Amino acid sequence: MDSFVNNFKKSTSTWEDQSLLDNFVNFDPVKEFSLPTFDIPSCLNPIEFLKAHTDENSTTECRIKLEHGTTTLSFKFQGGIIVAADSRASSGSYIASQTVKKIIEINPYLLGTMAGGAADCSFWERELGRRCRLYELRNKERISVAAASKLLANMVYAYKGMGLSMGTMVTGWDKTGPNLFYVDSDGTRLKGDLFSVGSGSTFAYGVLDSGFDYELSAPEAIELGRRSIYQATFRDAASGGSINVYHVKQDGWEFIGNYDVGDLHWEYQDQPKPSLIGDVPMFNIQS
Amino acid sequence: MTTRLEQPKGGFNFDNYQRNVFLEQKGITLPKMTKTGTTIVGLIYKDGVCLGADTRATAGPIVADKNCEKIHYLAPNIHCCGAGTAADTEYTTALISSQLELHRLTTGRKSRVATALIMLKQMLFRYQGHIGAALVLGGYDINGPCLYTIHPHGSTDKLPYVTMGSGSLAAMSVFESRWRKDLERQEAIDLVKDAIESGIFNDLGSGSNVDVTVIEKDKVDVYRNYAKPNERGQKEQSYKFNRGTTAILKESIKDLVIITEGIEEMDIS
Amino acid sequence: MSIMEYNGGSVVAMVGKNCVAIASDKRLGVQLMTVSTEFPKIFPATDKSFIGLPGLATDIQTLSERFRFKINMYKLGEEREIEPRTLAHMVSSTLYERRFGPYFVEPIIAGLDKHNQPFICGMDLIGCINFAKDFVVGGTSGESLFGICESLWEPDLEPEDLFEVISQSMLNAVDRDCLSGWGAIVHVITPEKVITRTLKARMD
Repeated sequence: MDSFVNNFKKSTSTWEDQSLLDNFVNFDPVKEFSLPTFDIPSCLNPIEFLKAHTDENSTTECRIKLEHGTTTLSFKFQGGIIVAADSRASSGSYIASQTVKKIIEINPYLLGTMAGGAADCSFWERELGRRCRLYELRNKERISVAAASKLLANMVYAYKGMGLSMGTMVTGWDKTGPNLFYVDSDGTRLKGDLFSVGSGSTFAYGVLDSGFDYELSAPEAIELGRRSIYQATFRDAASGGSINVYHVKQDGWEFIGNYDVGDLHWEYQDQPKPSLIGDVPMFNIQS
Repeated sequence: MTTRLEQPKGGFNFDNYQRNVFLEQKGITLPKMTKTGTTIVGLIYKDGVCLGADTRATAGPIVADKNCEKIHYLAPNIHCCGAGTAADTEYTTALISSQLELHRLTTGRKSRVATALIMLKQMLFRYQGHIGAALVLGGYDINGPCLYTIHPHGSTDKLPYVTMGSGSLAAMSVFESRWRKDLERQEAIDLVKDAIESGIFNDLGSGSNVDVTVIEKDKVDVYRNYAKPNERGQKEQSYKFNRGTTAILKESIKDLVIITEGIEEMDIS
Repeated sequence: MSIMEYNGGSVVAMVGKNCVAIASDKRLGVQLMTVSTEFPKIFPATDKSFIGLPGLATDIQTLSERFRFKINMYKLGEEREIEPRTLAHMVSSTLYERRFGPYFVEPIIAGLDKHNQPFICGMDLIGCINFAKDFVVGGTSGESLFGICESLWEPDLEPEDLFEVISQSMLNAVDRDCLSGWGAIVHVITPEKVITRTLKARMD
């Protein structure tokens, strides 16, 4: 207890002597920029140990059940980038929530999506946000999407094989224009024009690929993203809830809307089916 | 192609066995069977045998049946409590019961408890414990009151007071402290009831009500739900929905014709 | 993964005042992928009784055909319709025959007997019958259904009220289960008529 109190005494007595400049000199970049550290199980092979407790496929008695099952997508088009995702969180076959925000607003110019472990995604993307802000303060300019996504990829790579589960897309608009990167917990980092991630991604790709055109107008692109997620929620048991859509533009992202799939299905049901052949446009756009 | 219908042959069918083993090897778990987590007891008193059981059936951590019957009929003078895999206790007792009935018809004599005991233990031994039935067998025959326990592998005990199932320890502690020779009928029933209630309250696998069956010379009394220590409170509010709450896509109604005949139908069930 | 979760699906049955109701979802999946939204899990046994079979789809189809055969043979042999209680024991012994190589289904039977008395029962995969007086549940949403039925069900519900209770129980239970849903079907059996309704449900 005494030592605890002394701690404060010392700091108050030395407060006046210590100038702000000293404080700045004491700044330890190694410490400040180091990765967040976690306690790693003190055993011979921590990777195997963690795998036994977190990987549902490797063991029948998995203690930590991670949230899986998602459909997220994003694609570049002439007007920027569309990002869309469902909102279901499942634990095993139990639906834990239907109102998850799977598109994470890292800062007004950067978006990240969430697939795999919900905690892993939100933690590391929050950490990414902190680093991006530090970068901005130090360099007096915004971080590029390429640099931001690499930051994230490097951070999670340090924990490779220890059970992190994360499949994310980092999108934004920087000096070079709209940018889209796929980053996952294996350390993969890919630049691309069109991605879909999650258990429902195969279904989303089907719609996305057949309806995609770079010259799509913004309302058309939004509808394509929404429709792709909807079709995935229909076929994939682990996706559902509602659809969140974002549009990344030059002056930052814009939240387009939240659409409940329960209602959306019956709306689509009443519309004529989109056709791939003939003159009928693929998607009906409400202006 | 078969031209006539074959008589169903008895015994178990193993057609799906290979398939299920294959599925299990692929890491797929089989669904939970209903178990009777159970407290079952029996004791001998002055002029007969008293059997008791709780009424909870479980499937893993879920209470599958809140008021099931665990005291099975074997013969007019023999009853049997069952613990373990619910379907196994149900069907082994039913099988032995029908064999005893046939035995009575051929011999023209009352069934003996020892006969039932031998038939049950031989069957369970033959299946090497795969039939998960743990039984408390009680009855009154030419030798007076008889009480046995039978374990799933076929071993048996003959004792004046017995308990089985997951609540057996709780129930036995009651018997050990209060059982004595030549109890009166009501004393025996009360002791059995207290032993089962001890299981109901102290063992998570047992619960709900107390069933008691008393077997004396030429007299059997079945007290279904003899005690109900876990009666559910009255619901204070109704959660009734207004009619038309649920949205319907399609509806079809099949009208049934009610036939009422002048002559009363013969009961053939 | 449990074998019951391979295809998904749920069934529930309830007793009302001189009526019974049985409901099921309509999904057929292969693990997480929904393959069909028109997969029946409730089969008519007689005019006034139904068998619900949640579980592994291959066994649902095999058993529904076997039961149809057995019910028809009973009718030909006995020259009358099978009673729901008799039907329950027939289903039970069919399952117990396979004690050591079971079919992966949890049958649920609902019907009115010859005196128009309500009868429902549930079973585990090896034929242990649960004669309930209120409601029985089965399938992947079984636990959610238990919870909601315990609070919504009350004795002596009229057919129309029973329909609302069973429908709302079913819809809300499957909304918390990945592997059930995609529509639901409800049969309400009264002495005069059998009402079959397809419900509007969430399709995700």
